[in-house]
Amino acid sequence: MAEWAERLTGVRGVLLDISGVLCDSSASGATTIAGSVEAVARLKRSPLKVRFCTNESQKSLRELVGVLQQLGFDISEEEVTAPAPATCQILKERGLRPHLLIHEGVRSEFDDIDTSNPNCVVIADAGEAFSYQNMNRAFQVLMELENPVLISLGKGRYYKETSGLMLDVGGYMKALEYACGIKAEVVGKPSPEFFKSALQAIGLEAHQAIMIGDDIVGDVGGAQQCGMRALQVRTGKFRPRC
Amino acid sequence: MAARRALKAVLVDLNGTLHIEDAAVPGAQEALKRLRATSVMVRFVTNTTKESKKDLLERLKKLEFEISEDEIFTSLTAARNLIEQKQVRPMLLVDDRALPEFTGVQTQDPNAVVIGLAPEHFHYQLLNQAFRLLLDGAPLIAIHKARYYKRKDGLALGPGPFVTALEYATDTKAMVVGKPEKTFFLEALRDADCAPEEAIMIGDDCRDDVDGAQNIGMLGILVKTGKYKAADEEKINPPPYLTCESFPHAVDHILQHLL
Repeated sequence: MAEWAERLTGVRGVLLDISGVLCDSSASGATTIAGSVEAVARLKRSPLKVRFCTNESQKSLRELVGVLQQLGFDISEEEVTAPAPATCQILKERGLRPHLLIHEGVRSEFDDIDTSNPNCVVIADAGEAFSYQNMNRAFQVLMELENPVLISLGKGRYYKETSGLMLDVGGYMKALEYACGIKAEVVGKPSPEFFKSALQAIGLEAHQAIMIGDDIVGDVGGAQQCGMRALQVRTGKFRPRC
Repeated sequence: MAARRALKAVLVDLNGTLHIEDAAVPGAQEALKRLRATSVMVRFVTNTTKESKKDLLERLKKLEFEISEDEIFTSLTAARNLIEQKQVRPMLLVDDRALPEFTGVQTQDPNAVVIGLAPEHFHYQLLNQAFRLLLDGAPLIAIHKARYYKRKDGLALGPGPFVTALEYATDTKAMVVGKPEKTFFLEALRDADCAPEEAIMIGDDCRDDVDGAQNIGMLGILVKTGKYKAADEEKINPPPYLTCESFPHAVDHILQHLL
């Protein structure tokens, strides 16, 4: 016990991954991971600050929070750091007009973004929308640009749905990188900017926070590289040997 | 690199070099005849992932090229050889038209994934199935990793990007059997009984045709037809032995300078 107390010295806040930690997605919504609703409630009753830090990019933030609230989680949109809003900010700051390779479910996040005459491609976890035609269109847009910019919402390899493991955006991002000979910019875990903005939202420094996640690279590795501590959970996409 | 010896064999790429889809490159038939009038052996090497040798032959004959089936070496042949060697049962993500090249291969209860250019199979569900097999330890065999190819309506993604996606998602590496892999060229030259230093490759893909061939000691000629884009020749090191307009120009050069 003493050992743990030492390792957790100075922790004043928790960053919580959602998919694979609090719940597993399914085609029709999500199923809670046992005990998570109560665990979040306990965290919120404690003096610790809580921030949800997700790479979810198939659903809009509103829909995601709605699903979680239905499962009984105490969560609101303002408490979540998610990649689509962060991407929109970047697009506006840099005058980028995206060709969107995304799932329809997240389209509303880009409602006030100018998508005419695209000068970049934004790729997210498009799931079933990762058809050959859609990938090809995005590829053709990039090949026409003098200065091709590819922004990827996360770069996860796969995630867990109740039906099994599912290819995530990372592979498709690598596909376009390879096809065009370019490198994508990643918005979302494990990019340091993303973690920093989550920390800023709860007014903490890295050494005062701990990240809880199921992705050893995206959640745990990424957080630790920013100077946070991190806990790996054995739910979600966790596989014993990796 | 060993010193060059007399030229014994010319390897020629097909789509993009001898013909562009269903149209011959102007003057190519004539140029091939001139080449055949010499003592060199000609072999046609292609990374096709959707055409059997019979299909290729049929198209080439329609375009009035004089070619026989045993002069053609494809990446599908190379893939089949590998499957038999490894004794695996593949999930075949290949164009339906390539299936004749895999007749007799067990595909029930797959424990391997073979992937070629098969846009109709590259939808999320099927790739996800392949991904799960690979995560369980099945080997990934890629017929080739071309980034893109030229269609009538512009550039289109080749199998390479999708192979890359699966490699990244599963943290594994594919075994690639087509150009620009060394084994592909060595196999093609093996039945021509000819060393790399005695051979030259003519193709429109700077990396896959020219760089691949030069990597095993062949000379490479880059032609500016097919998928060639301006300044492609600057993308490889060493640069192509020669960059020229088209296959007939390449043949002229060979006749004038290498024979």
